[in-house]
Amino acid sequence: MMELQITLLMVIGLIAIWFGWRVFRTNSMVRSAFSLLASMVAIGGMFLVMEAEFLGVLQIMMMGTEMSIMAIFMMMYMMDPGGLGQMDMTHQEKPSIVAAVVTGGLALGVILLTNWGDIVPAAPAPAQQNHDLGMEVMQRSMMIFESAGTSILTAMVAALATALIIHNNNQKEH
Amino acid sequence: MSTALTWTAIIILFAAGVYFVALMERWSFSGRLDWAGPLHAFLRAFGQEEIRTRRYDTVFYEATPIIFIAVVLLAVAILPFAQGTILLDLGTAALFINAALVYIMVSLIMAGWSANGAYGMIGGWRAMAQLIAYSMAVVMAITAAVMRAESMGMLEVVRSQAPLWNIIYQPVGFLLFYFAVMAMAFLPPFDLPVAEGELAGGAWAEFTGARKILFRLGRLLLVLTLALAVTVFFLGGWLGPWLPDFVWTFIKTALVAASFFWVGRWLPRIRHDHLLEWGWKYAVPAALFNIVQVGIQLLL
Repeated sequence: MMELQITLLMVIGLIAIWFGWRVFRTNSMVRSAFSLLASMVAIGGMFLVMEAEFLGVLQIMMMGTEMSIMAIFMMMYMMDPGGLGQMDMTHQEKPSIVAAVVTGGLALGVILLTNWGDIVPAAPAPAQQNHDLGMEVMQRSMMIFESAGTSILTAMVAALATALIIHNNNQKEH
Repeated sequence: MSTALTWTAIIILFAAGVYFVALMERWSFSGRLDWAGPLHAFLRAFGQEEIRTRRYDTVFYEATPIIFIAVVLLAVAILPFAQGTILLDLGTAALFINAALVYIMVSLIMAGWSANGAYGMIGGWRAMAQLIAYSMAVVMAITAAVMRAESMGMLEVVRSQAPLWNIIYQPVGFLLFYFAVMAMAFLPPFDLPVAEGELAGGAWAEFTGARKILFRLGRLLLVLTLALAVTVFFLGGWLGPWLPDFVWTFIKTALVAASFFWVGRWLPRIRHDHLLEWGWKYAVPAALFNIVQVGIQLLL
């Protein structure tokens, strides 16, 4: 069972990486966004394989909406959203390669140098995990979640404020 | 009744349910019960020429109908038909159904985008705007139902309604969920993404033949699944006297599905800015009120 899980984990992980690579191999903003979505769903699948059901389902749910919203924003702002005009999407190639290698190295370092502890033979039942997660959110991590929630709310209010039409009496209305 | 026999009956009833939804859908447009209509439409689409647009996105175009139907089937899998008769009893089922059905919207965007047509693309993006309007109402109504059950498992959600169905226990949540799932299935008056007569089929405008059949079939399954979800979350699922459990589930589901089309027949199509306004200015506060109300009722 454990071998099967590890094999599946590796296969889905490779799928996630492959889709992550596809994000940069297309000129179409929508294809790029949905490749990223596929990569994120694969990561959700990895959570599911690791028996973290709530996290997996949440990841898959949130990313569906988020990546679609991202797709429409990229489409609105890019000059060649469909990629049919053969516009080159790459820029600042050398700095990005350096940044990618450095962050990749850092991530690898964290993976190799962290003491992950022993492999847990059996995860708690999904219902128990939901309960534990609820307790965590409502007790020890409450402050973190509350601050994150407030920050998001502030950002939403700020975004709405920028979209409002302010009626100024001195200016002629259009 | 043995398990195998129950499942056979459920599959037959489910297929009959799909036919019933197709029949009601036709009724909602024409006002007549055209018994052979769904079959004719099915056969006609099979004989139709496969027309493709210029420079369409092959991967999206071919994948979209399959994604559409697959996510609906995933959502059906976690809904119970009777006591213990469920394909997948997930610990996070209440969240899972929403996760699966978000991809209806993703599929519509992909359909609209891939065909390389203006109507399709507008329809696809409208599907996303619509999701932003209804998703809060869906999630927060489910949250209140889950609060009462103290579990995200569907069997628990139904069992918690044994003393009193959720439609009476939390009527605001029911109304929100009912109209939000109609928007999720883009039924009239929320049929903006496909808007017949305005976008000429919208997201599906450029799909013909077998792919169109997959979409149409997926939509029928989606309506039936959402009617089943309303039954499970708010109408006590299989709970009812005398008849076998699953028969009650199907009676309630059929009534809910029929009511979707009945409501849609008498209401004009809502404008998308009005839909967003209603979703955020009225549905979100109402959903918060519902959560607080259920919380107080649980503490009393």
